[in-house]
Amino acid sequence: MKKRLSIRNNGMIWILPAFFFLIIMIYYSIFFTFNLSTMDWDGLSPTMERVGFANYTKMFKDLVFWKAIKNTIVYFAITFVVQNFLGFVFAAILHSDVKLPTVHKCLIFIPTILAPATMAPVFRLMFSPQGMLQKFFDFAHIPITVDWLSKPQTALYVLMVIVVWEFTGMSFILYYAAMSQIDKEMLEAAQIDGAGNIRTLWTMVFPGCKGTTVSLAMLGVIGALKTFDIPYLITTGGPDHATEFLGTYIYRQGIRQSHLGYAAALSVMLLVMAVVGAFLTNKANKGE
Amino acid sequence: MLRIKSKRKKILLQILLFVMTVPYLLPLLQMFLGSLGGRGFYNYVAVWNTGVVPTYFRNSIIISAGVILIVYVLSMTAGFGFAKLNILGKEAFFWLILVALTLPEVILLTPLFVTFQRMHLFSTFFSVIFPLAALQLPFTILLIRNFDAGIPSELMEAAKIDGATTSQAFLHVILPLTKPIGSAVAMLTLINSWNSYLLPLLFLQKPSMQTVTLLPQYFQGEFTNDQTKILAAAVLTAIPEIVAYLCMQKNFERGMSAGALK
Repeated sequence: MKKRLSIRNNGMIWILPAFFFLIIMIYYSIFFTFNLSTMDWDGLSPTMERVGFANYTKMFKDLVFWKAIKNTIVYFAITFVVQNFLGFVFAAILHSDVKLPTVHKCLIFIPTILAPATMAPVFRLMFSPQGMLQKFFDFAHIPITVDWLSKPQTALYVLMVIVVWEFTGMSFILYYAAMSQIDKEMLEAAQIDGAGNIRTLWTMVFPGCKGTTVSLAMLGVIGALKTFDIPYLITTGGPDHATEFLGTYIYRQGIRQSHLGYAAALSVMLLVMAVVGAFLTNKANKGE
Repeated sequence: MLRIKSKRKKILLQILLFVMTVPYLLPLLQMFLGSLGGRGFYNYVAVWNTGVVPTYFRNSIIISAGVILIVYVLSMTAGFGFAKLNILGKEAFFWLILVALTLPEVILLTPLFVTFQRMHLFSTFFSVIFPLAALQLPFTILLIRNFDAGIPSELMEAAKIDGATTSQAFLHVILPLTKPIGSAVAMLTLINSWNSYLLPLLFLQKPSMQTVTLLPQYFQGEFTNDQTKILAAAVLTAIPEIVAYLCMQKNFERGMSAGALK
């Protein structure tokens, strides 16, 4: 046993290249950001002024910061449920006896591979009075004006629709993979015993995919906190901060307005929340 | 999965699937129809005639290839180390990866901006390739670790008894078995590096170095905001991605199914 351990105790050299890279790029940046968050700096002047925790106290009084947090929570709660429900249902249907499964799989997954930067102009058009939705409503004589992206009450929901469109493919492919490992005979036995489809899905298939759901929850929490491209490119966080997320606010404060110290404090906050979120979902997974 | 007995229900399920899939197609339809607005196919000619399209594609290919190479090599070795070898303080290293997994791109901007300028790397392809690879690594290391953990250790031990070193066992036993997860990792990395927007926008200042994600903005310049050409540019950017995915679809699916996330 001792000899075997000594033979196998050689893993360090295999992970070091990756860690060297992560430390230079990521941990250096985290350290830099921590340090910068206690400074006042505009990015140009040669000296930084140390201000202690002033950026943090400013943050907790900043209404836009709280608005961004609220948006992130609403956004996560709704997109997580809708996207994974759709992904799960698609996976169940495509594991059944249906025609043209590959065509459907590809159509569902293609949105995931397309760049938000590529699709942003499309969605700006689609959800504008010049887009196809408006043409449809006009054609059907339904008196609705498609100006939802310019209204603070609706803009966030439009972004959620876009995000669900984009990421259902990811939920689908992971559930699809998980379902191929579920024991088919057990399902058939339950169905022969008279259990309906909905019931087997809910009481047998869904619990069987629990690991996938937890993984998706963890990726979802991190993803919601990281959200940047879609709100930035489609609404730039507006109107009136209605679609502001921490990412877009950090960009606004740091890059646009050169409040680099304040942006760094927001970044630290974002990182802390992401780590805590990932830790809690990971723990929920293990504590079953 | 679903048990459908009657012919009528079978048709209903097919219709349900169709109705659920159509919304995923609509934005693509809007993109295509919008790109033909105004002067029709001439929009594509106008986009092509700017002369920047091949350059932007070349730059995106260089960046994606660089990121995939770094990510593939580093996550294959690290994933193997985590799954099959003894490492002192493995738990701690694992947490370092999880923290890195949560890091948003936007946090890296200021630190890397300052550093790259000092190191004279600013506005080189490296200033985009390195951070993209670092952001991708945590996730791919986890995927490969999970995959490698499913490979029976006996296979490696057998190679060792035959006198193979760890490197030889990795190259001749593990690596050939990792093809499915390897193509899933390549595909995910390709998606993320090809689609990256913020880093090229800020770190590649020269027009000759910009990437396909910045192509729509080319027509959103100071003087023009030409919707139809923006959409034509979007279609041109989307087509190679869709073709690449369709080519790799089978392998990608197999990789994800092979216990990618559990």
